[in-house]
Amino acid sequence: MEGFTLFDTVVLIGYISLIAWIGSRFGKDQHNPEDYFLGGRKIPGWAIGLSVMATQASAITFIGAPGWGFEGGLERLVTFINVPLAMIVLILVLVPIFHRAGIYSIYELLERRFGPATRTFTALLFLIARGLATGVVLYAPALVLAVVTGWSVNLTIIIMAVLAISYTVMGGISAVIWTDVVQMFVLWLGALLSIFFLVTSLPGGWGDVFDFGAASGMFNAIDLSFDPSVTYSLWAGLFGGFFLHVAYFGTDQSQIQRVLSSPSVLDAQRSLLIGGYLLIPQMLLFLFIGVILAAYYQQHGLTPPDDLNELLPRYVVNAFPSGMAGLVIAGVFAAAMSSLDSALNSLSAVTVRDFYSRYIKPNASDAHYLKASRLATIFWGLYATLFAFFAGNLGPVIEAVNQIGSWFYGALLGTFLLAIFSHRANARGAMAGLIVGMCAVWAVSALLDISWLYNNTVGVAVSMSVGYLVSLTAPAPSQEQLSDVMMTEAAPDMQAVLAARADNAQVIGKEARLTRRRCIGLFVWFCLMLGTLALLQGWANEWWANG
Amino acid sequence: MNGGRMVECLTLARRIDVTAAQKRLQRLGAHACEPAWVRLWATGLGVADGKPGAWLLSAHEMRRALLLVGAELPAQIEKPRAGVKIDSGAPPTPKALNRLWLWERIATPRHWRIQLLDSMPVPIWLPCWLGYARGRHLRLTILSGLSGETLPMLKPIVLKGLQQAYQSGQASATTSAGASERSEKTI
Repeated sequence: MEGFTLFDTVVLIGYISLIAWIGSRFGKDQHNPEDYFLGGRKIPGWAIGLSVMATQASAITFIGAPGWGFEGGLERLVTFINVPLAMIVLILVLVPIFHRAGIYSIYELLERRFGPATRTFTALLFLIARGLATGVVLYAPALVLAVVTGWSVNLTIIIMAVLAISYTVMGGISAVIWTDVVQMFVLWLGALLSIFFLVTSLPGGWGDVFDFGAASGMFNAIDLSFDPSVTYSLWAGLFGGFFLHVAYFGTDQSQIQRVLSSPSVLDAQRSLLIGGYLLIPQMLLFLFIGVILAAYYQQHGLTPPDDLNELLPRYVVNAFPSGMAGLVIAGVFAAAMSSLDSALNSLSAVTVRDFYSRYIKPNASDAHYLKASRLATIFWGLYATLFAFFAGNLGPVIEAVNQIGSWFYGALLGTFLLAIFSHRANARGAMAGLIVGMCAVWAVSALLDISWLYNNTVGVAVSMSVGYLVSLTAPAPSQEQLSDVMMTEAAPDMQAVLAARADNAQVIGKEARLTRRRCIGLFVWFCLMLGTLALLQGWANEWWANG
Repeated sequence: MNGGRMVECLTLARRIDVTAAQKRLQRLGAHACEPAWVRLWATGLGVADGKPGAWLLSAHEMRRALLLVGAELPAQIEKPRAGVKIDSGAPPTPKALNRLWLWERIATPRHWRIQLLDSMPVPIWLPCWLGYARGRHLRLTILSGLSGETLPMLKPIVLKGLQQAYQSGQASATTSAGASERSEKTI
């Protein structure tokens, strides 16, 4: 038990300085636009995918998931088991439409389909929800800093907020994808080293972990209970978590931004594929650390901290060799900065594009909008800071982020699905569906004892059905309003044109569609993961039954 | 569309040959393919007072522009030959172009330093490949003849162009009966 040594501090400062130097050297000082643009294209797809993952969740996963695992074992993995299925829907339905529409913010699609009020309202919902969730993301590195220094977490929240806002206003360093990749590997290395040190510190090694885990039911990842009040049943994960993740990855501008900026639909799909394949193993790894930590605490007769988010950072600081702890904590910091940077950027971009430039100053200069976007970054940084003070009371940070989203995103997803799938839906219906959908979510979570994972399902179902029914009371939308969501080549006259051209074009052989293959791959992965969990659960119960 | 107005265009060299295009389109489910040319407007991008390092390819009807990286436009001497030629019409106004680039810069903050250079848009012929995929409906896939990437944002322009080519082909078939070959023309 060495604590955070001077050498760790040197490594921490050195690592962050190195990342900042790489960022400023390769990210900001490129005066040649050719390098600027080609820089991103020369990087392999897997690195871009890892960078997406680093931006998405690495810091809060590192901090929140072990707390989850400590408390409930692998049962909460069902929250993420649906991610491959959610990615299939995104790849097949949402991404092609968003990409073809040529939009900067996804809420623009709702304006073209339902009019300006729907766009403004949905963009506002995004700002509120993402602003709150950014507070939780800000809390994560602040907590690590508090553990390392022993300072009050409220003080470290302010320090981290000042750092994150200044860093984002100055341009951030996320331009360099390789730094995100390095951070990802540092965090995974930290996780694997934690497992190594934890297991070797137990007298019976892995045997102790499996004995403890099996005895306390921590490997029971699959609960087949149909009781909707069981928070982490398989059905809640499949029918609730599925909508949670489609909504999170598909209707949150901070997540979909990269997809909209991808040069092609296939590139956009690739970045989603990486998440579809890696999110479950990553969560399994960090939840498993929570299980091992629970065995470790039990064997050593230790009392866990009140805030379970502190578990892994505390262990890393106390058990890792000098220098290594500094490196891992620096990785958490850098990853959190990368997430905060992209969240604050997307909040400020939506503020300027969807509100400021439309309602306040429509024809200002570029310099004016740059200034406005920086001020918006500061505003959202302060908003997130205020919420970060309360984030510690919300339990594991990873669940907090998802719960906040579940209050808003179900109805938001329902509105997007209504826009895409119902050609009868109109502005009146969309707005009614959105409002009633959100009220339904709040009513259900306040009055009924059902798993919060179903919140998004309720939001989607209510907003779509109310939206459709109310739409029947107003005229149907025009063809122009439907142009973004209808396959433009489906019109009969266009089919005749295409058929004539296809008949005269050079025939090429038939091969399975790439998109279909990608989706089948994700579905097979989902089945494989579910099967693996079932086998693990069966084996652990057998192990325990046989003593 | 600007009717019969013909402006001298640069013709960008086709880098993706028919074999490569067929391979890519096959993976996307297409059963037939043909070459095409789309006339767009290129505007230089660079740092202030510098030379272009990239080009923004746009058209009046495009909601988001395409980005072509490179200091020089990869032009070829020969005019476009085989393939349907589709004209996207008049260039976007300078104000519209500036605003288009502003939103690209705000969406991707690392592009902030790169500015739209103060020059007239250059008309260019962009080589493309059109793929036709059967299903419940015939679907069109547009592939860049430079990079092989799919270009869904060009779909409205290409569909409109194909429709006009078809209509003018039908009209000429009606007026000059017996013509055995349908001539491709700029529209």
